[in-house]
Amino acid sequence: MIYADKNTGIVVTGATGKQGAFHVALMNEYARQVGGRGVVAGVSPGKAGHDVDGVPVYNTVRDALKEHDASCSVIFVPAFAAADSIMESANAGISLAVAITEHIPVHDTMKAIAYAEMNGCSVIGPNCPGLISPGEIKLGIMPAHLSRRGNVGVISRSGTLTYEIVDELTKAGLGQSSVIGIGGDPVIGQTFADVLARFEDDPQTKAVAIIGEVGGSLEEEGAKSTDLPIVAYIAGVSAPPEKRMGHAGAIIEGGEGDARSKIRRLKENGVPVASRPSEIPGLIRGLL
Amino acid sequence: MKFLEYEAKKIFGSYGIPVPRGVLISSPEDLESGVAQSIGDGVVLKAQVDVGGRGKAGGILMSDQDTMARTARELFGRDIKGVPVREILVEERVSIDHEYYLSIAIDRSTKQALILFADSGGVDIETVAKEDPKALRKASVPVILHDIPAFMLRELRGDAPKEVEKIINSLYRVFCEKDALLAEINPLVSTPSGIIAADAKLIVDDNALKRQGITQNRDLTEREREAERHGFSYVELEGDIGVIGNGAGLTMATLDLIEFYDGKAANFLDVGGGADQERVRHAVNLVAGVSSVKVIIVNLLGGITRCDDVARGIVEAGVDQQIIVRLAGTNEELGNEILAGKGYRMMDSMEDAVQAAVEASR
Repeated sequence: MIYADKNTGIVVTGATGKQGAFHVALMNEYARQVGGRGVVAGVSPGKAGHDVDGVPVYNTVRDALKEHDASCSVIFVPAFAAADSIMESANAGISLAVAITEHIPVHDTMKAIAYAEMNGCSVIGPNCPGLISPGEIKLGIMPAHLSRRGNVGVISRSGTLTYEIVDELTKAGLGQSSVIGIGGDPVIGQTFADVLARFEDDPQTKAVAIIGEVGGSLEEEGAKSTDLPIVAYIAGVSAPPEKRMGHAGAIIEGGEGDARSKIRRLKENGVPVASRPSEIPGLIRGLL
Repeated sequence: MKFLEYEAKKIFGSYGIPVPRGVLISSPEDLESGVAQSIGDGVVLKAQVDVGGRGKAGGILMSDQDTMARTARELFGRDIKGVPVREILVEERVSIDHEYYLSIAIDRSTKQALILFADSGGVDIETVAKEDPKALRKASVPVILHDIPAFMLRELRGDAPKEVEKIINSLYRVFCEKDALLAEINPLVSTPSGIIAADAKLIVDDNALKRQGITQNRDLTEREREAERHGFSYVELEGDIGVIGNGAGLTMATLDLIEFYDGKAANFLDVGGGADQERVRHAVNLVAGVSSVKVIIVNLLGGITRCDDVARGIVEAGVDQQIIVRLAGTNEELGNEILAGKGYRMMDSMEDAVQAAVEASR
């Protein structure tokens, strides 16, 4: 288990919004299936006393933690206030903040992550689907029905592509220990290297698939940092330079971060790289 | 969004960074009023186009007061790497003793601002890094510090004049206050009258345009802008297969598979999360409206997005091109039922769908 398990209490910020309320219900449905604690409190400023899917709502994270035991927050608040919500979580004593929100200005993200880490709080995201540890906990928006409990870790910068690959793994009989979407922004909290370090300490995880894309060099840095058997797939081989491919972080800039040079560096490091998502299960099987 | 040189210089100047005297003209006739007379005898005319390697591509011309009008006419008549010249910055020609390089960018690995200063400027910084690594110095500024520590400034500057430190400080303020992804001065030149920013580059975070008071992202084409209004991420490409997906990664992977099977994608369109019937209809119409598009592939993985909504959107769009559809997830069967018997090709996997689309494009 990495980051959280069925005993983890979850606080959802932005719980009374459309997205927040929808996913509070789905996270709780999953918690009921696996016997977990699920979402114990919601936070929306000015909405104290309301409830969402039977979960009490508070004005602040601090107020919520006075009444409930929780160590994770999942953030659905709009972009202009999301960085603040990360910092509020950290300040109140949350140890893992999962930021689903997209379009947070990157300068805000840098400050929020630095502040959170100073306060002992790890950040997953922003602009991410969160994580799921099958049979234990769902933190965020990943569809639960595609995954099965098993020994493969998955770390990804993407959302739907992750679901596609998890589906392929499950259909090939390869269950997952934890599936983590680390986010599509240029600056993110937990990187491939950080999550790989967690997987190294997790006896359940025997191999890891890393799903990267154009932009930056976090995939290569992660691959270099670990002794775990890993397989990689990099999206954006056909992406033109200087164009943002949907994700704020998916851009080839100044001739850096293109898929082919990423793939070359990964292969130089001994990492098998799938040229199509459908090749991933076969490559993983080769490592187990 | 990228600022043009003259806009970046205006901003840098307002933060106390010395820039050359200059005026912006939008036609050769603008010079008739004598606006450029006071900037000195030797002038340089710089096309204001967002093109890399502008100088080499003929976008920068030397001139003087006597020949300036003729040079301006010549430059206005040019295309710089296909971009027509609509504005020219007429600047004083400064006498250069030495060229430096200065940039501040976001470093994804350290999650901090990364300052680069090099003793040799005017050239590609990657070249400096390769050929003369000692000339290049770096510093990461912890985001929780308000200012750059003095020791960092000293280390960055090395043997360059002391006033460089003030310029680094000013550029860092621009970087922070303008939500910049990149602020660059290349070259930063020393002249007999002091240090001057001879060129200027500023890229602002697209996610911060609103609070920076920018209402329209100029980097986007008309169609990309229309897509943005509908909440899509859209990139124009040069092929003939229209691509619609949900999620940036899945859509990128679809493009890559098209290339893998030797097809050519006409675009990247990510409809985003929770797309409903109306959004799918807009997406299909937008892609079908591109004249080069022969066939469209719709690759959607339903979660919050419901496949029956997607199917209704596709039908409602009612476009001429063949559409190959791969729907998976929430209400998948319902979606396929809606599409059945109406001339759409439904595929179970994204690879089958891509192969069918590539075939249909031939």
